[in-house]
Amino acid sequence: MKKLVVFMLTMVMVFSLTACGGSDDKSDSGSDGGASSGTESGADSGSGTSDGSDLEYVKDKGTLVVGITDFEPMDYKGDGDEWIGFDADMAKAFAESIGVEAEFVEIDWDNKIMELDGKTIDCVWNGMTLTDEVTSAMECSNAYCNNAQVVIVPASEADKYQDTDSLSDLSFAVEAGSAGEAAVAALELEYTPVKAQSDALMEVAAGTSSAAVIDSLMAAAMVGEGTGYADLTYTCGLNDEEYGVGFRKGSDLAKALNDYFATAYADGSMMECAETYGVQAAIIEQ
Amino acid sequence: MGQIMEQMPIVVDALNIGFLQTLKLFFVTLIGAFPLGLVIAFGSMSRFGPLKYFSKFVVWIIRGTPLMIQLLIIYYFPGLVLHTPIWGGGESGRFLAAAFSFVLNYACYFSEIYRGGIQGVPIGQEEAGLVLGMTRRQIFFKITLLQMIKRIVPPMSNEIITLVKDTSLARIIALQEIIWAGQAFMKGSHGISGAIWPLFFTAVYYLIFNGILTLLLGRLERRLDYFR
Repeated sequence: MKKLVVFMLTMVMVFSLTACGGSDDKSDSGSDGGASSGTESGADSGSGTSDGSDLEYVKDKGTLVVGITDFEPMDYKGDGDEWIGFDADMAKAFAESIGVEAEFVEIDWDNKIMELDGKTIDCVWNGMTLTDEVTSAMECSNAYCNNAQVVIVPASEADKYQDTDSLSDLSFAVEAGSAGEAAVAALELEYTPVKAQSDALMEVAAGTSSAAVIDSLMAAAMVGEGTGYADLTYTCGLNDEEYGVGFRKGSDLAKALNDYFATAYADGSMMECAETYGVQAAIIEQ
Repeated sequence: MGQIMEQMPIVVDALNIGFLQTLKLFFVTLIGAFPLGLVIAFGSMSRFGPLKYFSKFVVWIIRGTPLMIQLLIIYYFPGLVLHTPIWGGGESGRFLAAAFSFVLNYACYFSEIYRGGIQGVPIGQEEAGLVLGMTRRQIFFKITLLQMIKRIVPPMSNEIITLVKDTSLARIIALQEIIWAGQAFMKGSHGISGAIWPLFFTAVYYLIFNGILTLLLGRLERRLDYFR
């Protein structure tokens, strides 16, 4: 029984550190990390990384952890188990250029900023539209690819909705926090925010929303003849936008990537990669 | 329909991988939470005041907040606030963080069920043990424990079945369990894009697994029926 009590008290101690960590100041919580480390060997020592160079931090680790979602043609799995796509291939090449290895991790898109700041990933490289929210929360690279937001409607009704003036009687489904939401909000259209662009498509397919707004690159791959959404089509574009890569605020990796983009554009390897995935028309000169 | 049959083998493969994660999280949670729950139950029944109130406090915090928030806090808090991402960004790190959250959460629920089971054993049983000169330890392990187990099987079955379905919450920290795998097809995965049915099809996995669990737990209940 005594042993049990000792064990019990130990567990309680561990809990108290975890449960009350929230209100502790930093010097106190240092022991918290210590108490529960040992769970992940790759864990960083913690001190010294907050003010140092992010580039050095990544070089020390030897891996660039790239946060992605499954997004053809930017990041997706082909026949094999490896991540491919325009963004994935460029990320691998960039990682190689700074002497580290790229590791791809699928994330929940809503949590991308938390993932970055919490250092569970080092960059978001997944056809990310450079909106004001993104550029204020992340250190972004130069834009490298053009994109547009397009309206998705059932193919049978497409004739009626060919320009922005005709959209006012539609109820939209858009991804929460996406550029599409910003576009419909700016036009003062009625809309419901949903969790992902694919959820927005499902809303239209199921008839719970009459239209959706998603990326044109994604629309080209996902709706129309020969896709899972053969009955849907895309009509007018709402706005033009650009893709960029996001790093932690203040990170010097953004500059390193800009330099790399310039080199890769100059020697033609960037365009070559783009042609592999059919996005060459959208690439922006570096 | 023909298209679904074509996609079926690919989808089932992907869902199986996802369901394996679901099962892993389920079993790890049970293995961790069964004993930890007992420890917390003893804590909240302790005659040592601070320990008792502390255990009750922990149970209050864990039961009083949504598991989804606990997952987010446990996974992101170390990196965001302490600048020490103890879990790491990879798949194993996400699993460990999820398992830790689930064990803690379910241990708190289990502890209350245990407490009810222990305190439900008539006091006369303990008194009889004392009269026979047994120690407290002997009384617990030889008299109370087995009767407690019999009493807690129905409420525990409830929690266990809920746990199977709660594992889907772990997708909030991008643990790729079966719902995640099913949802991936809506967007595009394994060469199939815009398929909605795999997400709904995941329900079949849960239903079958919970059916098996219900049978096993029912059998356990009958096995323990030899004393009332």
